[in-house]
Amino acid sequence: MSAQGEAPEGGPTERTPLVTEMVEALAPLGATPRDRLGQTHLTLPAASIREAVRSCRSAGFDQLSDVMGIDWLEFPRHQGPRFTVVYNLYAIGANERLMLRVEVDDGERVPSITPQWRAASFMERETYDLYGIEFEGHPDLRKLITPEDMEGHALRKDFPIGETPTLFNDGRFLDPASFRAGMLGRDPGLTGWKGGTRKGVRSDEEHRHHDASRAVPTDRGGEGSGS
Amino acid sequence: MALTELFEKDVMELERDGILFSSLGKLVAWGRSKSLWPATFGLACCAIEMMQSTNPRNDMARYGSEVFRASPRQADVMIVAGRLSKKMAPVMRRVYEQMPDPKWVISMGACASSGGMFNNYAIVQNVDSVVPVDVYVPGCPPRPESLLYAVLQLQKKVQGKAFDQQGVELPMVEGWHRP
Amino acid sequence: MSQGAPTRMRPEDRATVLREERHGDFETKHMRINVGPQHPATHGVLRLVVDLDGERIATLSPRIGYLHTGFEKTMEHRPYQQGVTYSNRMDYLHGFGHDLAYVLSVEKLMDARIPDRAQRIRVILTELNRIASHLMFFGTGILDMGALTPFFYCMRERERILDIFELVCGVRMNYGYFRVGGLGRDVPDEFDDAVRSFVRDFPAAMRQYRRLFEKNPIFVNRTRGVGVMSREVALDVGLTGPAARASGVNLDFRKAAPYSGYEQYDFEVPVFEEGDANARFMIRMLEMEQSLRIVQQALDALEPGPIRDPDRRISLPPREELETSMEAVIFHFKLVTEGFHPPIGEVYVPTESARGELGYYLVSDGGSMPYRIKVRVPSLINLQALEPTCIGGLFADMVVNIATLDPVLGDVDK
Repeated sequence: MSAQGEAPEGGPTERTPLVTEMVEALAPLGATPRDRLGQTHLTLPAASIREAVRSCRSAGFDQLSDVMGIDWLEFPRHQGPRFTVVYNLYAIGANERLMLRVEVDDGERVPSITPQWRAASFMERETYDLYGIEFEGHPDLRKLITPEDMEGHALRKDFPIGETPTLFNDGRFLDPASFRAGMLGRDPGLTGWKGGTRKGVRSDEEHRHHDASRAVPTDRGGEGSGS
Repeated sequence: MALTELFEKDVMELERDGILFSSLGKLVAWGRSKSLWPATFGLACCAIEMMQSTNPRNDMARYGSEVFRASPRQADVMIVAGRLSKKMAPVMRRVYEQMPDPKWVISMGACASSGGMFNNYAIVQNVDSVVPVDVYVPGCPPRPESLLYAVLQLQKKVQGKAFDQQGVELPMVEGWHRP
Repeated sequence: MSQGAPTRMRPEDRATVLREERHGDFETKHMRINVGPQHPATHGVLRLVVDLDGERIATLSPRIGYLHTGFEKTMEHRPYQQGVTYSNRMDYLHGFGHDLAYVLSVEKLMDARIPDRAQRIRVILTELNRIASHLMFFGTGILDMGALTPFFYCMRERERILDIFELVCGVRMNYGYFRVGGLGRDVPDEFDDAVRSFVRDFPAAMRQYRRLFEKNPIFVNRTRGVGVMSREVALDVGLTGPAARASGVNLDFRKAAPYSGYEQYDFEVPVFEEGDANARFMIRMLEMEQSLRIVQQALDALEPGPIRDPDRRISLPPREELETSMEAVIFHFKLVTEGFHPPIGEVYVPTESARGELGYYLVSDGGSMPYRIKVRVPSLINLQALEPTCIGGLFADMVVNIATLDPVLGDVDK
């Protein structure tokens, strides 16, 4: 899933002119493109994100839609760093969208684009709050939406969702997670249901939540992108 | 009450002439219940339905809740409308403490009453753990009519006319003895 | 509850005197005051820490998170079809907008084909919800300025729209009507008459609103020239939606990236140049008129037909088939117990909600629950426009600026 110039998902994509221009312009910075369902994503090294955003903005991508993080900890057969930061850029005049991706590990820092683009201020703070990815150079990097006294980063896959077990009228205490475990295909849970044809992860596999670099074997052939 | 039984006939005559008998507690309770002014504590979607309950179709003002006071010092009842997040809980406690006695709390909606559909790290699972609740209103969001019914139930509770499911009369709530 | 220690004020919450200056005989002080989170003039639990120089705002810092619900994390633990119960509770005023954005993302991932009737009904309901959201904006915005009457007039029209929603979905707010693949159920027969009578009566109501406040000298004085934001600043802070269009940013995703059949309808997108609060107010009036046009056209084009993608991977097979076909039973069982499995991939579909650009960035790992949902909410990014509009202005103008940016805190805090 880490984009290293792999085959496009969802079929071949015809790239729009401004995006094609940016793919070429950012190639010297180490950008590798990948198309996902018609949308071009460029993966860059973290150090060159400021330069890349600057040149995209001067080329015509004048709206920063979003800066978001993705935690690949529990993604099946993921190789590479744990987090990805996706920058969602949109050109209003040309009506084209480009996604820049930066892959970082836990503890690595990403240069902040807030000094050059104020729109990233809240977005980077939110990504820091929910994932713990630090943005170097952000004027005011602190928690945005979670309580001040809450420790931990809420959207990481090893942060528990914190469900209160439900007490039923007949006295049973049921933990909602075990109800759902069967659906995720992770473990049989209370019902013994093994999750059926869930692609990607075998249902009788053990998961270590803190082990990010699992190589997960599977006996289903032809497992890849697309269905 | 025992007094009126003794003088039943005289009481009836006097009432025909326009003199009513009551106790001070009942009068005060009647006055309080018929003018419950809510404090604005709208949090989320239920707040919109709370606003809708003041519009001309479902008019809450005719039941005494004439205005929603922004300052908690001038309010009687706090309608917790919406999901209470853990960051907001100390703020809500402080607003509740600023309200003068007697005060009541209506927990409006599923999220305030029990956490609703959000069983996670961010939402307080029952507002009763922060403030003492008098009336719970189910719904997601409850219709304005439900909220009006809740206000009427609270009025009955204030007057001492509330009954629980077994038909046992609930004690009248006196605001100044509550924790 | 036991009587514990009283909650104490934290040092940073006290109104603090920051800086004292002497100008000749006058001594001025900067004060830091705390606005909210419980405050009648904010659209929900928004907290602002404001440094005041007299009545002028020197700096402003929004503190949010008082309604943080953990939507994204919760939706990662629910099957895709249950996501529609969560999405409309974020921006509860334009719930259908969120529902539509979510189901569009999942449908793009699944490559689903939505029948025309479902698309048209989706458009009608979303545009009616946009009108309802703008009505609430007018009602509460002008209420913040002190006028009580327009609130009741706007609520009257809003009740009619909510009646239509109750006819279709059974609830006035927080609908669970859209499904991945189409709609939950078909609309009843009274839907056509109800919407047509609303469309017929609404222009008169809009004329009434215009008479109420458009030329009212207090309204004009409080909004004209207040909170001016230029196009460059609007783009720099990432503003989208009607507030950005009032500053000259010509962007509406219904035109730029049409979804759900919007390319068939003939409507205009108003764009103003002034960028002040008055422009941000009146642009929504014009948007309501355009939404009404879309509703009229979609209603006229509505024809009987299916309301769900018949693809068995997404929608349940019709009940009659369950008696004859074993395959149908298996599909039904799989869909009901664990839900459908989109292919592995990432997708982002931008839509236009009443507040701005709304999109659900969906990462799927092939399971029955989303791996990562990021909601690009308009209100959170629009709040960044508070600083350029409010700083340097009066404190009372800050109330107007918040009202015109129209944040919904459920949207902001997710």
